[in-house]
Amino acid sequence: MASDLFYGLVPEQLLLALVVLLMILEMAGWGKRLTRALFCLAAAGGCAVLLWQIGQGYQGWPVPGQIHIDRIALLGRLVILGCALVLGLSLPAGSGSFKSWMLLACSLLGALIIMDSAGFSSLFMGIEMLSLPAFALMVHRLEIHGAAEGAFKYLLLSAVASALILFGLSLAYGATGSLAIADFTAALATGGALSLAAGALVLSGLFLKAAVFPFHGWAPDAYAGAPLEVTAFLASVIKAAVVLALVRILPGAPLPADMVSGVICLALLSIFYGNITAIGQSAFKRLLAYSSIAHAGYMVFALADSTGGRQEALLYYVAVYAVTTVVACACFGQLCRGRSDELEALDGAFARRPGAAVLLGLCVLSLAGIPPLPGFLAKLFIFKSVIASGHLLAAVLAFFGSYLGVVYYLGIVYRLFRPLQPAVEGKQPLGQRWAWGGMIFGCLVLGLFLAVPGVFRWLLGGA
Amino acid sequence: MSDATMLLLVCLVPLAGALIATLAPRGASSLARHWAAVVMAATLVLAGALFTGFDGAADPRLFEVKLRWIDALGVNLHFALDGLNLYLVLLTALLFPVVLGSCWRNALGASRLFAVLLLLLEGSLLGTFLAQNLMLFFIFWEAVLIPMFILILVFGGLRSRQGAQAFFLYTLAGSVLLLAAVILLGVECWRQTGRWDFAFDVLQTLQLGWQSELFVFAAIVLACAIKCPLVPFHSWLPLAYGQAPPPATALMAGVMSKMGAFALLKLAIPLCPRAAAAAAPYLVLLAVASILYGAVLALRQEEFKSLVAYSSLSHMGYIVLGVFSFEPNALHGALLQILSHGVAVAGLFVVLGLLEERLGGAYRQLRSLSSMAPRLAVVLMLFILTSVALPLTSGFTSEFLILFGAFQRSLSLWIDGAGGLQLVAVILACSGMVLGAGYMLRFARAILFGTPGQQGPCADLNLREALVVTPLLLLILWVGIFPLGLMEKTGGAVQAVNSRANGAQTAPLASTSTFFVTGGSHGQ
Repeated sequence: MASDLFYGLVPEQLLLALVVLLMILEMAGWGKRLTRALFCLAAAGGCAVLLWQIGQGYQGWPVPGQIHIDRIALLGRLVILGCALVLGLSLPAGSGSFKSWMLLACSLLGALIIMDSAGFSSLFMGIEMLSLPAFALMVHRLEIHGAAEGAFKYLLLSAVASALILFGLSLAYGATGSLAIADFTAALATGGALSLAAGALVLSGLFLKAAVFPFHGWAPDAYAGAPLEVTAFLASVIKAAVVLALVRILPGAPLPADMVSGVICLALLSIFYGNITAIGQSAFKRLLAYSSIAHAGYMVFALADSTGGRQEALLYYVAVYAVTTVVACACFGQLCRGRSDELEALDGAFARRPGAAVLLGLCVLSLAGIPPLPGFLAKLFIFKSVIASGHLLAAVLAFFGSYLGVVYYLGIVYRLFRPLQPAVEGKQPLGQRWAWGGMIFGCLVLGLFLAVPGVFRWLLGGA
Repeated sequence: MSDATMLLLVCLVPLAGALIATLAPRGASSLARHWAAVVMAATLVLAGALFTGFDGAADPRLFEVKLRWIDALGVNLHFALDGLNLYLVLLTALLFPVVLGSCWRNALGASRLFAVLLLLLEGSLLGTFLAQNLMLFFIFWEAVLIPMFILILVFGGLRSRQGAQAFFLYTLAGSVLLLAAVILLGVECWRQTGRWDFAFDVLQTLQLGWQSELFVFAAIVLACAIKCPLVPFHSWLPLAYGQAPPPATALMAGVMSKMGAFALLKLAIPLCPRAAAAAAPYLVLLAVASILYGAVLALRQEEFKSLVAYSSLSHMGYIVLGVFSFEPNALHGALLQILSHGVAVAGLFVVLGLLEERLGGAYRQLRSLSSMAPRLAVVLMLFILTSVALPLTSGFTSEFLILFGAFQRSLSLWIDGAGGLQLVAVILACSGMVLGAGYMLRFARAILFGTPGQQGPCADLNLREALVVTPLLLLILWVGIFPLGLMEKTGGAVQAVNSRANGAQTAPLASTSTFFVTGGSHGQ
């Protein structure tokens, strides 16, 4: 038991140690250059331990009834930590104070706890730990106009989401008499008004955090207000953690029919709304926000599946989406350092910096779901399980929605390859430079996903 | 080297070559160009070896390679050379070096990006033609769009953005339904056999309901009709062909438009034979409409590029007419037309590129080319004559076979009392050849002969350029004079498609028409 508490939770312990170490270093006022390395080290160490544990087929209950390490917990944490590693490797080397790295680590810790939890109290704690540091990160370096507004919206709507989830939990407790996630899932499958209402409330709370259509209001302002690093974090790690929380709550069993039609409606609305609104955007972060609303739609779409392919499809989708987003942000950061985030900064980027431009183009096309890039396979897995569950019409509509998305992604590619206008280049105030390390590592990861698309099925099957 | 390795290499060599070409230093750009030429030559040698080694009468799966990729979903790297893709592989492998050679000395050839994109395009095109797995086919089919989009965007004309976007968005719109159909077939397979599989030969054995078969067929035909293009779906064509640089247009008209025709043969008929039989009369009408519409519009064009663009619309109509006539002769004709039109139209655009390289925008006012550059004029005239379908050129062989087969079919339909509409349509289609002669020869008269205009001197064909166009001319004459050797190679595949199209073929050919009439109510 005690060994489980240590061995099963090594990644969490590493992050805790990192937070403490950063605090001490800050008090000593020493080692600011080391922060990024320490963060990456902790994330990489966590990934390595998780890989080892997956190889061993490790399972355990470090905290009986609350924390359960099973295959999904291992894989979900691996996805989140891997994504954080890519982010950490690509952030500018001297960027951020001790505090911002600390907040990043805290938020990450919350994400890991979500993935571990078998009971709702730890899940809820994880969700709060995930969101609050993110809020602090957004306002931490208040230099962007409107950052406070976006952050405040995020805080307010996060609070609403927490209230919804809590209310749902209390209903679930009333229906089942327990706070275990497994009991809730079982009650949801058998139906009944109370558990259905509880399910609807919990799902709405999580949808709010994931920015699914009617609950998306905070996303554009929050994304646009935050610095690019934080936007990347919001769009990748936080989105991944929330969606994987859905996987944690609803691992495989089909949802009740009423709920499925509701989920499909929300997913389609999300896809159409996000993609159509994104077409008109001229700023990168806002575009990312609307496209992330659309992507939330695709991910939620997987909940309509009744063939048991949900876990695999969502793990793959989330991993590919998060890593691609981080790499795209890193490329964008390289291409227009020190400038605002207007898309115009990308004009003629291919002529200036072909490497980053091509990579950004590929990422964007992958997000659009153009074969043979990994984004296509991710969508394919989701659509295949939805069609196999008998929702052909909904899937065709979603295809058309994703087709609309291609328009604005192509707009970015167009800008990248546009002939260079002379005399735009001058002495720009150079900001910090995003690093290549994350991009290269991210590409390797994406390449792995492309070469072995069945990786999650294989890993899940080995449980 | 074993046959399977060769097959895999023919697809992998260009892709790997493209990756390596990106490593070429930015300044020393001729390095990328030379490397691309070497890679393309290697691909051509491989494709040539495959072509000569292929014997359609014997085992059609002589060249086959299968590697696991997403085994759980049944999406595997399965490539094979069958009779249907035989010409296309040869055509693709031949056209790319020709196109690269034609712009060896100008700004396009000097660009590293251009070399990389060409190699990527070649690899994905070969992948599309060789794939024997529906999902793999779809992946390559879409992957082709990316390099072509960037080619038009970066190297295109003044309105390159509109051209590139029209091309990409139109074609992708067709693919949206195609993807749904592909997944639907996979789901049907999963329901019927208990496991996911997208291999063509497995999908052919499925028993589809009439509704799903109709949906799948409609999706495939829509995607192909946009790609080809056929008449109501052609509005991207003038813009994209007009804005793309001539080498890219040569490839688009020469190879990429053939993807549509190929997919009709490879997907639409084998996967949904009943729907194909039921829809064939309408598609024949559509094809004839394309032939006439394209020809009439071409008659009215003043500019070379748009004239060839519309003539290509007309010629693609012949291919579709041949495919949906369900006669062995017409199918042979359609396959040969794929080869012949690919070579001829690519040749025309290559010559256009040479003219544009010499004269810039002034080539539009070019007159009396035959007196200034006789060798160039002869080459251009030969390509024009192929387009006109002069006997002894490949154009004649293929269009004659198509019209002959279509005529046989419609006549037998008429005799069986199925109405004479199709017969009328085919007779009208014959007039497309006359119209074709009209616009092409009018154009030849204007550009080759006549009184010299104000434009400056025009250099004649040099040795490199002569070498570049020679293989195309040889192929035209070969198909025109000895088509039988080629037709023997594809005989097996044509028989397979034909018998699939004409039902289970337990009945003799003459009675297929009765099946034809009742085909619509067959599955309800």
